[in-house]
Amino acid sequence: MTVSIGRRAALSLPLAAFAVSGGRARAQQKEPFRFGALMPTTGPEAGYGLDFVKTYEMAVKDINDQGGVNGHPLEMLVLDTQAKPEIAINAANKLIDVDKVPLIITAWSSVVKAAAPIGNRTKTLELNMGANSPDIAHLGDYVYTVFPLAEVDVTALAKYTYGKLGKKRAAVLYINNDTGIGGAKIYRDVFTAAGGEVVAFEGYDPKATDFTGVLLKARVGNPDVVHIHGLSELPQVIAQMRQLGMQQQITSYSAGYNPKLLSQLGPAAEGLIVTSLAPTSDSNPNVAKLLELWKQVGRFPNGLPYLQYAWDSTVVVAQIYGWVDKNGLPMTGENCRKALLAIREFDLPMTGKLVIRDDHRIDKPVYLYVVKGNKFVLLDTVA
Amino acid sequence: MEYLASAGMLIGIYIILAASYNLIIGYGGLNTIAHPIFFALGAYTAALLGIGTTLPSVVCVLAGIGVAVVASVALAVTTLRIEGDYLLIASLGFQLGLLQLVNNFEFTGGPAGLSNIPVTITGPGRGWLYLLICAVLAVVVVWLIWRAMAGPFGRAVRAMRDDELACAALGRSLFTMKIVIFAFGCGAAGLAGGLYAYYFQYISPEQFNVAQSATILTMVVLGGIGTTWGPLVGAFVLVALPQAITFMQLPTSLVGPLQGIIFTVLVILFLFLRPYGLVGKREAGVAH
Repeated sequence: MTVSIGRRAALSLPLAAFAVSGGRARAQQKEPFRFGALMPTTGPEAGYGLDFVKTYEMAVKDINDQGGVNGHPLEMLVLDTQAKPEIAINAANKLIDVDKVPLIITAWSSVVKAAAPIGNRTKTLELNMGANSPDIAHLGDYVYTVFPLAEVDVTALAKYTYGKLGKKRAAVLYINNDTGIGGAKIYRDVFTAAGGEVVAFEGYDPKATDFTGVLLKARVGNPDVVHIHGLSELPQVIAQMRQLGMQQQITSYSAGYNPKLLSQLGPAAEGLIVTSLAPTSDSNPNVAKLLELWKQVGRFPNGLPYLQYAWDSTVVVAQIYGWVDKNGLPMTGENCRKALLAIREFDLPMTGKLVIRDDHRIDKPVYLYVVKGNKFVLLDTVA
Repeated sequence: MEYLASAGMLIGIYIILAASYNLIIGYGGLNTIAHPIFFALGAYTAALLGIGTTLPSVVCVLAGIGVAVVASVALAVTTLRIEGDYLLIASLGFQLGLLQLVNNFEFTGGPAGLSNIPVTITGPGRGWLYLLICAVLAVVVVWLIWRAMAGPFGRAVRAMRDDELACAALGRSLFTMKIVIFAFGCGAAGLAGGLYAYYFQYISPEQFNVAQSATILTMVVLGGIGTTWGPLVGAFVLVALPQAITFMQLPTSLVGPLQGIIFTVLVILFLFLRPYGLVGKREAGVAH
């Protein structure tokens, strides 16, 4: 079953004019449909977390301006997690038990995992919109993802590197945390299965600032390509690699698709290949609208592709609530899960088609970008 | 309500941690900050046994206590002949080293942690039943510490804290006393770990890092170091206060920063107005 109200309802501006007049009035009369969001609004990850929250607010306003969900205003309750599991546990309990939300949006792998037992136990639907740990697919009946897990882009990248770029020897460097280990293992396994050889597989401490040791180990293996599965330290690793005279092709995943990285690295970023899981404003005009809203905030947001998923996850929530309401069912987590599986295919404004699979994974096209002239230039799209 | 039960569980677990840490640092005067690693050992042992075997949860938690006690004795035997800053650094090294192992072993789940810890109690009363068990255990731990510290052993421990040489001159074996309080305190931390693992069903290394040491230390100092009730009050305030702030109807953009500011200001105020802790008295303070 395909429900396509998302793109039309959320983003067609002419319809919005009608909806704002009649729809808003209706939306304000009915009881609000509330959902929870567990996001880091303080702590080191707040830069991303606050931008996620801002984007949710934009999406909620957009939906409500057009009449809400069957006339009910959509309402979001945000609790801070600092991206820490121990804080997320109590926040999840409060949202479910005190605020009685039937659905929670989460991100950050450890937070998703910490909230999962609570979601399963209380039959509250948990939607991951930003974490990519492959483990998320195995967290239970009430945990689903609307964001592609690591295997999607990393598999596409590893196959592309071997098959299209003709690289036969890869060194894999990774940050020693959940994201790094999970992604690096997938890259290693896929690259090896394709016929390539992984000549170095080295992790580094998340708090490290000197990467000479792991880079020299990689250099000894004489690789054709160096895949770095890191996070915010990625520019330092690349800069130190170039300083050591290693001129090999570098690849990374969606964390590398960040304009900040280009300004930090300058010419050292040339040739870097990264992935993105969301289309840009060139291919999707809806993204331009999101950027326009961010212009009103007065700055360019952090992690635009992730924000596209933040917007779309709000649309998914609205469609789930719409389905439950339309079918006259009580607004419970159980019915929200039923709605998610009944709708299954979502036509979303920012990231396109989303299909919820029974194995709790989703597929998305992978956009490969290469840095040319200090800009990300689309290299290829892997469907 | 599950939420209140969950917050109560956290308070109970932190009361066990703070009271047992107070035994070591407050009564015993042993400057160690490795308490969270024993919390972690208890949690990981119970969780791994729960996932990998069919042993009853009580046995798994008891095994967690056992592992924490053995590890604490191993640390004590090698480091308790030193004191002060040296002991502090040795305990920090022990904490970081073991945490690195947990972070790098496959069987511990590495940085991803363990997320399939079995459900032991089901049904709507789960939270309250767990809270009851946790509350009883917390009372037992606090009572045992109070009993021990109120008697001759407690007086000897405090004498050791205040003047090791004078205490040794009275014929007391300082080393044995240190091992006993260290083993009991760390065993209690292992118990807290087992409870945490089974109730919250997800553990990862980042939950037991040095920040956790700071949290437990703040509870002890804020409540009143070297007192019976201080760690209880400290644990209650530090767990309940951030939760209470989330109930204030504030805009999303303000909740996070305000939570941090209100919390920090209150802690500073408490420390200024009650430098010996909320329930502490000047004479109960520790010389260091």
